[in-house]
Amino acid sequence: MKKLRWVLVLCFTFSCFGTGWASDTIKIGFNAPLTGFAASDGKSSTLGAKLAIKQINEAGGINGKNLELIVYDDQAKASQSIPIANKMIGQDKVVVGISGSYSAPTRSAAGIFQEAKIPYISAYAIHPDITKAGDYVFRTSFLGEVQGRAGAKLIGEILGKKRVVMITLKNDFGKSLAAGFKEKAKDFGIHIVNEYEYSIKDRQFGAIVAKVKSDKPDAIYASGYYFTAGPLVSQLRASGVTCTVIGQEGYDSDKFIAIAGKAAEGVIITTSLDRDSKAPETADFIREFEKLAGYPADMVAASAHTAVKVAALAIKQANSTDPEKIRDEIAGISLKASTGTIEFNSLGEVSKNVQNQIVKNGEWHRHSVISDPKLLAPPEK
Amino acid sequence: MGLYEISLATGVGIYIILAVSLNLITGYCGQISLGHAAFYGIGAYTVALLSKMGWPMYLTLGAGFLVAGIIGTIIGLASLRVKEDFLAIVTMGVAFLFVGIVRQQEFLGGEMGISGIPSHGMSKPGYLALVCGFAILSILFSWYLKRSWMGFAFDAVADDEKTARVLGLDIKAYKLTAFAMGTAIAGLAGGLYAYYTRFIVPDTFGFIESVTILSMVAVGGIGSIFGVVIATILLVLMPEFFRFINDYRLLLYGVLLFSVMRFAPQGLAGFFSYLVKRKEG
Amino acid sequence: MLFIELFIQGLIQGSTYAIIAVGLTLVYGLLRVLHVAHAGLFTLGAYLGVAVTNQTGSLSLGILVAALAAGIVGMGIYRLVYEPMLNKPPYVALIASIGLYIGMEELFRLVFGPFGLSFSSAPLQTVVVVFGIHLRACQIIAVVTNVVLLGGLAWVAQKTRIGTGWRATVDDPQMSACFGIDPIKVRYRVFFAGSALAAVAGVLVALLTNLVEPTMGAVPSYKSLAIIVLGGLGNVMGTLIASLILGIIEAFGTIYIGDFLDRDAIAFAFLIIVLMIKPTGLFTSR
Repeated sequence: MKKLRWVLVLCFTFSCFGTGWASDTIKIGFNAPLTGFAASDGKSSTLGAKLAIKQINEAGGINGKNLELIVYDDQAKASQSIPIANKMIGQDKVVVGISGSYSAPTRSAAGIFQEAKIPYISAYAIHPDITKAGDYVFRTSFLGEVQGRAGAKLIGEILGKKRVVMITLKNDFGKSLAAGFKEKAKDFGIHIVNEYEYSIKDRQFGAIVAKVKSDKPDAIYASGYYFTAGPLVSQLRASGVTCTVIGQEGYDSDKFIAIAGKAAEGVIITTSLDRDSKAPETADFIREFEKLAGYPADMVAASAHTAVKVAALAIKQANSTDPEKIRDEIAGISLKASTGTIEFNSLGEVSKNVQNQIVKNGEWHRHSVISDPKLLAPPEK
Repeated sequence: MGLYEISLATGVGIYIILAVSLNLITGYCGQISLGHAAFYGIGAYTVALLSKMGWPMYLTLGAGFLVAGIIGTIIGLASLRVKEDFLAIVTMGVAFLFVGIVRQQEFLGGEMGISGIPSHGMSKPGYLALVCGFAILSILFSWYLKRSWMGFAFDAVADDEKTARVLGLDIKAYKLTAFAMGTAIAGLAGGLYAYYTRFIVPDTFGFIESVTILSMVAVGGIGSIFGVVIATILLVLMPEFFRFINDYRLLLYGVLLFSVMRFAPQGLAGFFSYLVKRKEG
Repeated sequence: MLFIELFIQGLIQGSTYAIIAVGLTLVYGLLRVLHVAHAGLFTLGAYLGVAVTNQTGSLSLGILVAALAAGIVGMGIYRLVYEPMLNKPPYVALIASIGLYIGMEELFRLVFGPFGLSFSSAPLQTVVVVFGIHLRACQIIAVVTNVVLLGGLAWVAQKTRIGTGWRATVDDPQMSACFGIDPIKVRYRVFFAGSALAAVAGVLVALLTNLVEPTMGAVPSYKSLAIIVLGGLGNVMGTLIASLILGIIEAFGTIYIGDFLDRDAIAFAFLIIVLMIKPTGLFTSR
């Protein structure tokens, strides 16, 4: 019993001090779902962030010091991210926080970072309210609505399809995509025949597939993540539905192709990672990530990588670890990253091109680019 | 006390209220509820909606308490019809139905949840004190209940329903009362949670959360207030202390649950009384 | 046409539920425990089935290995988890089972990674067109397997000596021991059979979706619990029918009342409505 007590004391002590030892590094906080249902995205985003840190430190660090990434597992839950945010700010003394997690935990943590006046960057969470937390919160990826609008242009104008069926994932991601799509559908001549919703836990879509088949659409706009879209697309094709399927960055992973197999051919998505890009930032990232992680890059990894790079550049340009100065630098930043050129508007949202990727011969390739500033303009407040 | 410690303690306080409230239902009356988080959610949503309409905190918390208790009573009435075997699964159904219905209603925020819940207006330490105050109240209330005649009736129902009925105890009334009180207090905890996170989503109040609360009661020792409180503190803080083994936390949690039930099913309370007996004897 | 297709999809879905639920109802009938960890065996079966098929190219071998391994693990769970808890209140076994399931989910994630496992080249995917409806071979197999396995099981329970022995053990373990039936052996057999069936269901679902994930057991575990209540605890035939009905209700429900209610909630809504009308469930318990 006594031994146990000593072990517990030691553990407690270590956990308190463990993070504080290397004090001549610049600390960046990172919350991601390392366990739980979203663990795959948590793993990818963490690796993307770690790659960025590694590259920056190998190039000499920032202002003479190395960057240190403090990673916490929030299980994609809001209740976990609050103590994590407080710990990062209060104990670890991070100068910037980055969310590699989903919308609910990001939204909660954003409020805390805003109150503490420490910059917080959402790598890929899309809930509109995240940046509304205040002027210290930024987002390096598209808002759901913006991407939805791009989808409407892709289907209606670029592909010229008019009769569309929507299959929407019932969460903030799917619903905001659907909202954006519906907003602009008429502008591009699209008639939405029907909309069906499914839950994030569904993997068997027999009923929806049967109904969609009877609708006979020209195209299907389906939101989801690779683990729902893979089975969905595969089952659509198997039941004889041949029309084009358009997805979004949730599909953006090689796992989608692995699950759907041949059915993935011809699927087009709106995303921010162009596999065929000649731009050095993108090509380098794709190559280096696969070396580090052992599997091909996906969108969440690229987004986290970008977020870290933004933070690092801001710290460098501020030439200080004063959060207010860093925040100002982030607000005015212009950085070419793997996911496009990052510049923020007054709300902290980015405005950048949408990369449309298509599956050809079992790989993601460039299909087209949408660069329509008016269409893709995020809200200002 | 830094920001981190305060936020942690507030979270612990809210869970203590939750666990103690479930203990009323499960511990005292022997009814296994796998849907307790639904009432936690009802309280949170009630408070979120009302506070956004401008109601002051003391009124919203009161409303959360009442609404959860009333709905709890209704569900309690329904669950009286089913046997013990089924009760666990029916309460599980309540958990899923709550989330399933809430996420489809736009006026409840749907998938996006409700954000921008107004601040409680107090300082962080002040709010912590409020939460602790409620926690202590819940504990005292539980303790009083245990000692009073109602507590005796509850124990009888939990031990042997048939005999209790023979003795003239109105089983239904007692079970219902336990349900109403437990769910009302859970609603209060939900309200406190809403002011704490200022952003709620339906998923937070699902089956998994119900299981989490139930495991706090089970590990503490069903029926024992002291055990439940200690178990709650440990189970909420444990993931924090063990952050350096991030990857294995959930595994450890599962192993812990299993081990306690396997080797010490009376929970912490049983373990303590065993230690006490050894000392004395 | 659409209605027929929805109906058939419902049968397919219901079939996968049935094969999982039957193990659960057998265990409940025998021990009065809600064996939540059963879903972990479902996932184990899926992982092993896919892994072995990918390595050896033989689906049959994959199913065999999956079923055997799950059966053995299932027996182990009985011995190490439930047997010591038989005289404790029911919540003890329930929570221990939940803890075990969480542990299993995590082990799967740690061992196989969070990304999920797919067939390198999925078998049984050839499409057959029946009266204008496209069906994949695995879908037809799912329904056929279900009917054969569960029908067979129900027949065994009613018409054979082993089945009678099992039913006797459920009704009165001590009395049946007097008649020479070993209740312990019966229990091991039930756990083996139920777990092996769960593993088969796992492989079937892997064939249908081509994705095996650590958390894939969660949803079937909840639904199975609702199903076994509806079907009558311990009643194999009842479970089969309840599963199919639920599958069909889900198929039509997701299309027509999906606006109002989540897919998973439909199962429980159905359950609660039935229980309000008939508190003993659709069918009587064994």
